[in-house]
Amino acid sequence: MTRPFIFDFLIPVGKIAAVIFYPMVMVVVMIWLERRVVGLIQRRLGPNRVGFQGILQPLADAVKLFFKEDIVPERADRFLFNTAPILVMFSSLLAFCFVPLGEPVRIGSYELKLWVAESPVGLLLVLGLSSIGVFGVIFGGWASNSKYPLMGALRSVVQVLSYEIPVGLTCLTVVFIARSMDLVEIVRRQEAAGVWYGFLLPVSFVVFWISAVAETNRAPFDLPEAESELVAGYHTEYSGMKFAYFYIAEYTHMVLVASLVVVLFFGGWLPPFPGVRALRFLHAVPGFLWYLAKIMFFLYLYVWMRATFPRYRFDSLIKLVWKWLVPLSLVNLLVVAVLRYAL
Amino acid sequence: MSRFRALLRKLFLWDMLQGLWVTLRYYFSPKVTVEYPEKVQPVPARFKGILRLFRDDQDEPLCIACKMCQNICPTDCFDIEGERPAGARRMRPSKFDWKLGRCTFCGLCVEVCPTDAIRFSPEFRMSSVDKERLFFRLPEMYLQGPELQEKFCGCDRP
Repeated sequence: MTRPFIFDFLIPVGKIAAVIFYPMVMVVVMIWLERRVVGLIQRRLGPNRVGFQGILQPLADAVKLFFKEDIVPERADRFLFNTAPILVMFSSLLAFCFVPLGEPVRIGSYELKLWVAESPVGLLLVLGLSSIGVFGVIFGGWASNSKYPLMGALRSVVQVLSYEIPVGLTCLTVVFIARSMDLVEIVRRQEAAGVWYGFLLPVSFVVFWISAVAETNRAPFDLPEAESELVAGYHTEYSGMKFAYFYIAEYTHMVLVASLVVVLFFGGWLPPFPGVRALRFLHAVPGFLWYLAKIMFFLYLYVWMRATFPRYRFDSLIKLVWKWLVPLSLVNLLVVAVLRYAL
Repeated sequence: MSRFRALLRKLFLWDMLQGLWVTLRYYFSPKVTVEYPEKVQPVPARFKGILRLFRDDQDEPLCIACKMCQNICPTDCFDIEGERPAGARRMRPSKFDWKLGRCTFCGLCVEVCPTDAIRFSPEFRMSSVDKERLFFRLPEMYLQGPELQEKFCGCDRP
């Protein structure tokens, strides 16, 4: 009598809690990683006082933000102003439901799946849900009743909408190869094919990565929050926990994009070269750890790129996507489609 | 041919990779940060730290209570009175009040002092949460190092 209750109710609830908890932990790690790594690259040390090597610094910052005054600007649209951070946060957290975090774990006769939901159109749902965030950005920018947030929000919308096209087109190549939009199924197909799709589709991977970085509004594409021009972009007028929401949402989105890259191009929970017999022993390492190691690499790459590249000018940003990435991904899509049909 | 190569460079993101390589090298480079409370950088020889009174080799106070510093001080930090101890050749200050809170570190008192009694010291840790602690009387003008910190914050700062 107790078994069905545990399996049908408690485990899904636990998984949902984990899917909220896990991005939060990653955000904490990510904020710390970013500040430390950027510091080290700039020949500084970065925060290293709170906890071991400063790992608790983000928590200290969060405590500070909790106690800050919550300011709503005069003549701001209160409803939209308060909705925006929730919307941004909600969209990036919800998309995590479809990301497979590891291979299913067998406990006796029960198979514990390390994802909350599996859908035949998982990839589409993830892309769609993460795009809802742009509404939060434009609501926040518009409702603030201030010019810098509005400018930042406008830039953000143009940028995110433009860069979504190459993201979609490159995702389509993966769908062509895997013949499925289910994220779990895509990983399974990579296992069956014995190779990560990143090696089959290098152009797709590079274009996807560049566009995804631009979509998360990260340096060198961080024009919506270009602090030298726009103070802080769309969240200029936010303070306290609402600001923290935007901040957390941005980092959650980065974790999501890193997970998506890993799932689509680097085999999700699969070890390197899953098809090579000599490397079978790599399967001994739990899939979750492989997945974690891979997304940590991409999160590091995010920070590394931020510390390296100067910010784009807005016209060259738009030129890059419409004159390079979109044609490139279209040609890439055509080539992949023809090869897939021919072979 | 060179245009073709330039195109290839663009397509393979060669310049981007070079940039990443540069920052990766900096990542492992030695850091310039001095972790302050544990490690203190030595200050330059002519550093204008807190003003202190000094003694000579025989441990005799150098100050002769001439009030030159009091006269020249643009912010009226000093309140000095002197007296001649019986049988002594020189005047000695009997009262030497100095307000750190008013001092602008202009250095005129140091320049004007005929016996070099008042000088800048290398001490730069002068913070306190209590205004009273920024007021110095005669014996406190000779405090240095941990004892001076004790006066400022009631503790020995690392």
